Formats: sequence, structure tokens, C-alpha cells
Amino acid sequence: MCILDVRDLTVNFRTYRGEVKALDRVELRLYPHEVLALVGESGCGKSVTALTILGLLPQNAYVLSGQIIFKDVSLLTISSDQMRRIRADDIAAVFQDPVTFLNPVLTIGVQLEEALSLVQDWVPYVRVRDESSSEASSYNIKDYLLRRNPPRTEGSEIKAPKKMSEKVTREFSKNILKLVQLPDPERILTQYPHQLSGGMRQRCMIAMALARRPSIIIADEITTALDVTVQAQILRLLRELRDTIDASTLLITHDLSIAAEAADRIAVMYAGNVVEIATTTELFRNPLHPYTQLLMKCIPDVRRPVIRLESIAGSVPDLIDPPSGCRFHPRCPFATDACRSTKPIIKDVGSDHLVHCHLF
Amino acid sequence: MLLVNDLKTWFPIKAGIFQRTVGFVKAVDGVSLTVRNGETYGLVGESGSGKTTLGKSILRLIEPTAGSIFYAGTDITKATKRQQGELRRHMQIIYQDPYASLDPRQTVGSALTEPMRIHRVVPSKAEARKRAVELLRRVGLNEEHMFRFPHEFSGGQRQRIAVARALAVDPDFLILDEPTSFLDVSVQAQVLDLLKDLQKELDLTYIFISHNLSVVRYMSDRVGVMYLGQLVEEAQRDDLYMSPEHPYTYYLIAAIPVPDPEFKKVSHILSGDVPSPVNIPPGCRFHPRCPYATEKCKMEVPFHGESSDHKVACHYDIDFETETATPRYDYLPQP
Repeated sequence: MCILDVRDLTVNFRTYRGEVKALDRVELRLYPHEVLALVGESGCGKSVTALTILGLLPQNAYVLSGQIIFKDVSLLTISSDQMRRIRADDIAAVFQDPVTFLNPVLTIGVQLEEALSLVQDWVPYVRVRDESSSEASSYNIKDYLLRRNPPRTEGSEIKAPKKMSEKVTREFSKNILKLVQLPDPERILTQYPHQLSGGMRQRCMIAMALARRPSIIIADEITTALDVTVQAQILRLLRELRDTIDASTLLITHDLSIAAEAADRIAVMYAGNVVEIATTTELFRNPLHPYTQLLMKCIPDVRRPVIRLESIAGSVPDLIDPPSGCRFHPRCPFATDACRSTKPIIKDVGSDHLVHCHLF
Repeated sequence: MLLVNDLKTWFPIKAGIFQRTVGFVKAVDGVSLTVRNGETYGLVGESGSGKTTLGKSILRLIEPTAGSIFYAGTDITKATKRQQGELRRHMQIIYQDPYASLDPRQTVGSALTEPMRIHRVVPSKAEARKRAVELLRRVGLNEEHMFRFPHEFSGGQRQRIAVARALAVDPDFLILDEPTSFLDVSVQAQVLDLLKDLQKELDLTYIFISHNLSVVRYMSDRVGVMYLGQLVEEAQRDDLYMSPEHPYTYYLIAAIPVPDPEFKKVSHILSGDVPSPVNIPPGCRFHPRCPYATEKCKMEVPFHGESSDHKVACHYDIDFETETATPRYDYLPQP
């Protein structure tokens, strides 16, 4: 049973040069407890997909058709207030450049508190181990994120206070920072974003996203701005979190290698279409769509000395006037007349492998 | 062709009412390297390592603070303004951002003929135009592109225009500062292959700066790894990748994601963050992050031997399989 179902999504942007057909009947499903990577080069529509799910499209964008069903709620038809609620509680996002998304004049502690304060229902759980107990109880942050109920002592009444105490918030904030593997969380809570390094800021963003116990985390190119060694740490963190928290992750990246390392399933996008979806192992073992095959050949593998790098002839099409039929046909070595005239439909080739191509 | 000797580029940090210098950002802190004719020297490092500053310092786009740079026998750090102008003709640079490095108000044709005019490479305007068209064709574009503006081109095409522009003055030496980082993977290869072909054809020498180790492996003959302003390892390309000796190099290579989901990654991931060149740790700069660091590493700066082809700045000879470190004795004492 999937947690997010994107069906037939078509999104256009109105620009002075014309209408940009950014997304063309995009279909994908996100299941619980998995990491789905949305891979594609610049201009393929992966970020637009994320923004559409979040309801954060700019003014000049509009949804032409399609549905996004999240836990039986149709995200495209609800009111903006309801969408805001969902963005606060259920779908969290972490973006590429943490500098832009962290408030430079507030400390991390205050920002984390802000994120925590949006969630009303966690307070009763924490109240059990409030000032009365000086030691931390066995109920910890992982239990909270997995939505397990806390142990209740005999005869204790759980009432949700209007405002949680500072001590409790701080304890919670520290625990969340520890969960994202930040050293010395006590000190970080008092620091400003500019005092932290890129990797640490990104972890803070992830912590803020987790604080609200979302069902979905959308991670849009979160490691692109980071150095390779820091990127490796963040990817390992994501892998570990996948096993401990009760959320699915939509990992958006242009790098297939990152998807190989961090994702369970991969959806490959090109010029506004999802061209192929499969599990990671299946995709690498058996890439079917010509674009996927060519893309894999372009990636230099550091383990082996490369004699000649491949590239894909031509360039990404202009989406104001995209190619007829299959949008990849001008660059496809296997293009047929059918490819030039009609759009392919998605075919299931077995073992959960979907391809959007006439050849199958 | 190029010899860099103990180059230092420090940026002063000024503070206080009187703008006194309170410290330095030691972006490049004692780098020595040699680049031979016709080869590609790959310079690798993360942010803060000083690789871009080193590239710009070699061309004196940023003035180095100390040290010397010998280009074809002459010390260019001592060159006069006029001599520098002459040199600029032989040493060119291609920048990282193809969207910023071309003048948006200048046509492609004008961008190509301007340097020719300045350096008096061709005798007449007509000659310049002809040469510009030839260059465009060589990089895979057409004559009609001469009259267009940069914004009409894609990233890959703009980078090709930048290459054509750099070649307009018939240089011998090119510094390529992350030329493909802004480009998509599918286009990257086109630009890299073009650069490789041109190198063979025109007998060029390159310094290829990048943080992308896979790309550096593809392009370089020799590779130098920079960390916090210094070279920590330098070797022939395959040597470096197959048997890295410095722990930083090893972890850097291990951190690169591999397009193979079945590949088991190294269990050790380098902890900590890339440090800033303002507060440089004492002794070996890498010791705070190094799992093999000892007391000696905290106090003594390692100095690698001049004689060998594979240079490492480390007190120990580390076997990464068994995770053992044996002290090195085969390097010269510090002068």
C-alpha cells in the first residue's frame, strides 16, 4: 500500500517565451519505509515534482492534469491551509543549500524549537518523563520517531499543557541532534548557522525535518553542495535513519552513484517524464531504457581506469517546444517512427520494473 | 615547463578600528610541484584545500605572497607588468562557471577576436575573424554562432566557447579550473574529450583542478592531492588510485559513491569536517581527522622525499588492509 501516489501529473509554467511543459504525465509511487531516488539531469523536472508534491510551485506554474494522493488525501484539491498543515506535520523537505534555508539570525536551538513547536501531539508523551524524573527514561527519541507509545506509570494523568517546558524542549532537541550524529549537541543548540560547517548545517536541516515525525521526507540534492567526504557521512546517516525511523524518503539527485548507494528504488527522469523505475539492484543489473543505459555509460567509475568516456549526443530539449512523441527520440540510437510520433505508455516488464519506451 | 617552488598565498584578515592584520587565511601554504611539457597535472582537493587559489596564483591572477614560479625557465613572480602581458598569452585559464565566464553583452565572435587583438596574434581583422571561425569549428560549433550571445547557448556549448577563447592566442599552458562541474554528466564527456584531443593536437600542457576524483583520473597523467594549502600526496595517476599512501587520499577515494549498488564500501568513513585555512592545526595538518595519528603527528610536520616519484607527506607507511602503520625513515630531515 503506497504512501504517496503521483498519477498522470502534468505541470506547465507560463513564461514570456511561451509555456514550459515541465512535467508530462509523471507517474510514481512511494512506499512506506523505503528510499526512492529520483534521478535526472538538469531540467528533467525532478525538483518541480518535489515542489508540486509540497504545494510550493511558483505563481506562474499550474497543474494541467493529474493527481497526488497522500494517505487517501488528494493534495491537489485541498485548501492551502490544509496543505500547510500537511507540510508542517507530514511531509518534510530538506533542500540543497542549507545556508539559504536556515535563518541566519536565530540560533539552531531556537529554529529547532520552532520546528518542534509545530507538532502538538508529542508533548503528552514527553510529559511522562518531565521534571519528576531526573534520569532519562527508557523512552527515547527513536521510540518517538517510530511512534511507539511511551510507558505509562500507574495512575498518571496525561494532559497536554499549552506550552512545553524549556528543559524538555532542550532535552528533545539535543536528542534529535544526536540522532543525526552531530557531536556536542549542547553547544550546537547555542550556535548560529554561520558558525557551523556545511555538513553540520545539512544535518541540522535533517534534524528539523525529522522533528515533526513526517511520513515523507523529500531530500532535494542535499549533498550537492558538500564535499565528497562529508557527502559520504550524510549518505551513511540517511541509510541508518532509513532503518530506524518510520518515514519514506524521496531522494532527488543528479548523481546515479549516490542513488546506487543510498536508495532502494530508483526512478529515472528525462525532460519531464519518468522513463524508468526499478529497484536499485534491478536497474543496475538490467537497465532497459536507452537513456538509462547511456547515462550509466557516462559515469566515470573511480575504481577502474577509463579509456574513453561516453557521452550522449545532442542536448536536453527545450521544454517550450518539446519533441513530438517520445521526448528522448532525437538523442536515442534506437528511435523508430513510432517513437517520433506517439508517446510511449508505461509498461511493466516484471519484477517491479517499469519502462516508458516503445521498444518494450 | 612549469616549476612551482614553495608557493605561499596568504590573505590577511583585518579587524579592529585600525584594520590591523590579526591573522592570515593561508590558502596556499608552501606548495612545490613540477609540470612537464605536454602532460596533464591533476590537482585534487576539497573546498578549502587551496587548489583554486593555487591555480590563480600560478597565473598571478591572485598575487602570491611568497615563493617562486618558473615558467619555461623564467621566474614569473619577478616579471614586470609588460612581461606579464607577454606571458598571459602563453598561459590561459578556463573557469568553472560557463554562465559567468563569458561576457553576456559580447557576441561570441567578439569574445574570440578580442584576445587576438590584444595580444596581436594576427595581422588583420579579417585574419582574426577567419581564425575565430576555425576555432569554433574545432570545438564543435558553427560559423553562424559567431553572431550569437552567450545566453543563447547551453552550459556545454558555453564551455566550448570558453575553450575556443582560451586557444585564440595560441597558448602553451592551460589551467582548467573545474571545467565540467557545472555541466551535466552526459555533456561532461564531450567537453573532456575535446580537451584531451586538443591537448594532443596542439601539444598543450594542462593543470586540471577538480574535486571530482573520477574525472581527474580520466584526464591526468600525474595527480597531486591538496589538503589545507599543502600537497599531501603526489604520484603518477594509476599509482595514486591503485595504491594511495596518504590516509587522506585513501579516504577521499573511498568516499566517492560508486555506480554499483552491490559494491561494499569501506567501513571507515572520515569523520569531522573539512577544516578552515584560518586555524591550521599544528604538526601534520591532517592529524585531527586521521585515525592513525600519533603524538608525533601532532607536533612534527611531515616532509616527503624529493627523490621518489610517489611523494607522501606522512610520518607513517600505512597498510590500509591491515590498518597498521609503520614509521617512515626514508625522508630527508627538515631544513
